[in-house]
Amino acid sequence: MEKDRIKQGYLDYVLRKGTPPASVFKLTKKLGLPEQEFYRYYANFDVLDRELWADFGREAYDIASKEPVWAEYGAREKLLGFYYTLLEVLKRNRSFALQALRRSLHRMPGLTPRVLDGLRQEFEEFVTNILREGRQSGEIATRPLIENAYPRFFWQQLLFVLGFFARDESVNFERTDAAIEKAVTLSFDLVGRNTFDSATDFVRFLVQSRR
Amino acid sequence: MADSAENTPLNSLPTTKVARAARFAKTGLNVGANYVKHYAKRAVGADSSTADLHQANAAELYGALSEMKGSVLKVAQMLAMEKNILPTAYAEQFAQAQYQTPPLSGPLVVKAFRDAFGKSPFEVFDTFDLNARQAASIGQVHRAEKDGRTLAVKVQYPGVADSIRSDIRLVKPIALRVLGLDEATVRPYMQEVETRLIEETDYALELRRGQQIAAACASLANLQFPAYYPELSAQRILTMDWLPGQHLKEFLATNPSQEVRNQLGQALWDFYMFQLNTLLQVHADPHPGNFLLQSDNGGTVGVLDFGCVKEIPADVHDLFTALLAPETLADETRLTALLTEAGVVKPQDPEAQRTFYVRTMQASLELVGRPFRQPTFDFGDPGYLQSLYALGDDLMQQPELRQQREPRGSEHFIYLNRTYVGLYALLTELRAFVRTA
Repeated sequence: MEKDRIKQGYLDYVLRKGTPPASVFKLTKKLGLPEQEFYRYYANFDVLDRELWADFGREAYDIASKEPVWAEYGAREKLLGFYYTLLEVLKRNRSFALQALRRSLHRMPGLTPRVLDGLRQEFEEFVTNILREGRQSGEIATRPLIENAYPRFFWQQLLFVLGFFARDESVNFERTDAAIEKAVTLSFDLVGRNTFDSATDFVRFLVQSRR
Repeated sequence: MADSAENTPLNSLPTTKVARAARFAKTGLNVGANYVKHYAKRAVGADSSTADLHQANAAELYGALSEMKGSVLKVAQMLAMEKNILPTAYAEQFAQAQYQTPPLSGPLVVKAFRDAFGKSPFEVFDTFDLNARQAASIGQVHRAEKDGRTLAVKVQYPGVADSIRSDIRLVKPIALRVLGLDEATVRPYMQEVETRLIEETDYALELRRGQQIAAACASLANLQFPAYYPELSAQRILTMDWLPGQHLKEFLATNPSQEVRNQLGQALWDFYMFQLNTLLQVHADPHPGNFLLQSDNGGTVGVLDFGCVKEIPADVHDLFTALLAPETLADETRLTALLTEAGVVKPQDPEAQRTFYVRTMQASLELVGRPFRQPTFDFGDPGYLQSLYALGDDLMQQPELRQQREPRGSEHFIYLNRTYVGLYALLTELRAFVRTA
């Protein structure tokens, strides 16, 4: 399919040259396509970048969920499995990924670079699903109102992981593995039933007794 | 890897660089505070229980600091002076992981296998339990089966080598301050410790050494070594047989008979003497977690974990042996000469100081070397323990030793001392009667 060829051709170009092609014309010429073929699918390279990131997320999920133990994993392990697989996917395209991350992540911590918008949609959908499973299994505490913010909270975690990955200088990104492990453990300690829930329950009880 | 550990999954423990920094900072404070309390109580004549101090310090001192100040005097310090002799608390502390980290999650273990073999552990083994059975010092142990054999699979935490390096950078200034040492004089000792610790992260090396030492010790009685499987091992994964048996503490709780304890003690003694004197290469980490005991065949010791192996240079071995020889003890000139060679006594030391060091060493060597001067030795003898404690108390009062501000002696002695301390600790806990000649 032409669309995939353009995508792959673009990715190869960035991996090989370290920068995006100077113009759409240059890329299509290289691929032996008329320039307007590109515009049939994409408005510009930014849109293409966004789609590539969304593809990484989809691919990571597809690979991770094929792991034979996937069904036995709880929500925490599923998230970990996804992160580790995503890293593997990114490592395969590391020049593209690192370049994009370094270009866009340093600006405002916490703000999502536009290039990751596509990935974000994929990720939040995935997280919403595993959180629902987690609530059913009791791994995650049910907290009306607050829990709607969880997908955004986990998205911030993914941003942290990506930022850590972009700055990691250890062999085979081993520090990033450790960072993921610890970040996920912490986040699941937070969303699991903990002091917070007992405190809320207690306060609610006091307020009700007042009447 | 004891059977009893089977059903207890690991608990979470904190560690990041920041968390470790905080822990070490606390260590420095705690140890300092423990000693202040101890001396303060002593100063007013109260009977400050050495067990208290010991308990309080064991984790901090041994976990983080004790190896930093190596010297022959360390024999005295470790075996007597600090009363850490045969320290129950020390043994218990050290039996736990030195680099405590939360257990690796299932996905990370799977990833470690994918990195190493391109396959998940479920493809590599017939069965594989994703829940770790036990913490190893820098990893965790999983149980697996393949071709009808039960295997122990050690998986190392990611980035351990890096964190060891940064641990050392963190602990160094604190250790120097607590012990009042100067960086330049400690450098060789630090170097020695760092080398050993980094070696411990190399599972390929551990595998080679485990095979070598097991082969060399095959003729020794009542010892059991796991077979290692190179084709199932990698840089961060080590596969070996799952040995039966219990760790010292659980084993002693089963009230083994004196005969069994003697045979176990003898096996350990023979194993160590053979390594020290014949192989010149020693399993330098004799903490209880590395041995599995069982009473089958009158007592068998399973030896695990060849991560920390000290190769002993021939001249160091000669010197160490000469120091422990009975003739040396009686002959003060010879002892002085040997201590000078070992760097404990220096030619520029004032006469009084030299005499003091020689006297001190003579006293500790008399005790430490006592098992060697008799054909048989009873490590369960309470009299021996008491005289070691007494010597410790005595040395503790010596202002000269408390003020000693530089480490002395060869850096090779650090791990030799640690080996002896560990071995004596094991044997006394076993209360074993051993043929030592």
